[in-house]
Amino acid sequence: MTKVHVITGENRDSYREQIKEYFLLRHEVFIKERGWKDLHHIDGQEIDAYDNANAVYLLAIDQDRVVGGQRLYPTLLPHMMSEVFGHMAQRGIPQAYDIFEWTRYFVIKERRMGRTDCRLLAAIQQFCLEEGITALTAVVEMWWLPRWQQVGFKVRPLGLPTIIEGQPCIAAEIRISQDSLDRVRNLAGLRGSALVRHGRLLPLLDQVPHVAA
Amino acid sequence: MSGTNFNYATEAFDFIDGLDTLANPEDVVGAVAKAFTLFGFENFIITGLPNPKERFEQVVLLRKWPLGWFEIYTREDYVRSDPIIRLCKNTTQPFEWSEAPYDPVKEPKAAEVMDRATDFRMREGFCLPIHGINGYEACFSMSGVNLDLSPRTKPALHLMAMYAFERARQLLAPVPPARSSLLTPREREILIWAAAGKSAADTGDILGITERTVTAHIASACQKLDAVNKTQAVARALQYKLIGL
Repeated sequence: MTKVHVITGENRDSYREQIKEYFLLRHEVFIKERGWKDLHHIDGQEIDAYDNANAVYLLAIDQDRVVGGQRLYPTLLPHMMSEVFGHMAQRGIPQAYDIFEWTRYFVIKERRMGRTDCRLLAAIQQFCLEEGITALTAVVEMWWLPRWQQVGFKVRPLGLPTIIEGQPCIAAEIRISQDSLDRVRNLAGLRGSALVRHGRLLPLLDQVPHVAA
Repeated sequence: MSGTNFNYATEAFDFIDGLDTLANPEDVVGAVAKAFTLFGFENFIITGLPNPKERFEQVVLLRKWPLGWFEIYTREDYVRSDPIIRLCKNTTQPFEWSEAPYDPVKEPKAAEVMDRATDFRMREGFCLPIHGINGYEACFSMSGVNLDLSPRTKPALHLMAMYAFERARQLLAPVPPARSSLLTPREREILIWAAAGKSAADTGDILGITERTVTAHIASACQKLDAVNKTQAVARALQYKLIGL
């Protein structure tokens, strides 16, 4: 069964294979399939400046195979919305120690029938609730909005849609809530937690580097 | 950022924030009608897609349409030949009515619906397809005779329409079941494996459930889709965009 594994700087060593597979899949999905030309890649792996010790990955893994993934990054550090997509957040960029940026979300092609999406979306709400993260920021294609809303995510637009790589995209803030978690679980018939934490992981918010953004 | 641009943004955010205060679907119709007038729109409809057994009026969520046109559209069952509805199923991007292709010679009924709409001041239009977690769900189509559609206005309209749809859905739930909720996620998953050529036993192995459970899900999907067997269920699920390949 598919589980969503929490991978941080602390336990990353025990997930070396899966992280590599995740970077390979990111190349497959974002560069080859979606055609995002500005992304860098080395040896078929898509890796950017935010894939560092501050990143947290929630990877959907089914019998050692990565079937989807997503990344969280502290908004107190320079992050994609502050460095690259600032013009899209006309209402201001939410930045706080308990607000994280949510990027590089995907589900592999053959699993795009909804359930794996719901698992990943439930996992992110659950993880944030457990860690005390109150909100996420993200830049997404507009067609994602009704999907998020359908699964009960509370989404506030930070600006008007802007065309990126030929697609209308939007900067948004998602308020984390137990309601949203219940709703997405309910919709997909997910019972209980699918979140796996291997190793001793310290509370995430205690480790947010307090660097002025 | 230009001053005009900023006004559209303010307009859009005020509209979206205001939606939360609306208590019933009629209020959403009123709010949309008022805000969208600024862009020249006179009519709009938010609708799902009827399956062969449903009638159009059963899947309409909200509408501000001329009554005469609604009667004609329903009576003639135009929803099944409307090129706007068809394009909605095949794109996630908003589009202008003039961008929806059809062949007036081979598809006379498509030409007819577009032509007769103009009798009701529905000359130009803008349409937003809504795709949920399991594919196509609904269409938000708006029209008028003199629209202010430009790269400056469209982003605001796009965003406003999406939030209006969501508010309508919240206020109408759970009365009209969303099309995608016809099948459970598990039923859809199993039909997708069936579409990939997997037997019930294979699918059971893949999903870690028994063959018997897989068969039960298929039977349930067949019943919901009014299909006599797995093959027809897969065909119908594809046709209604309940599953994709």
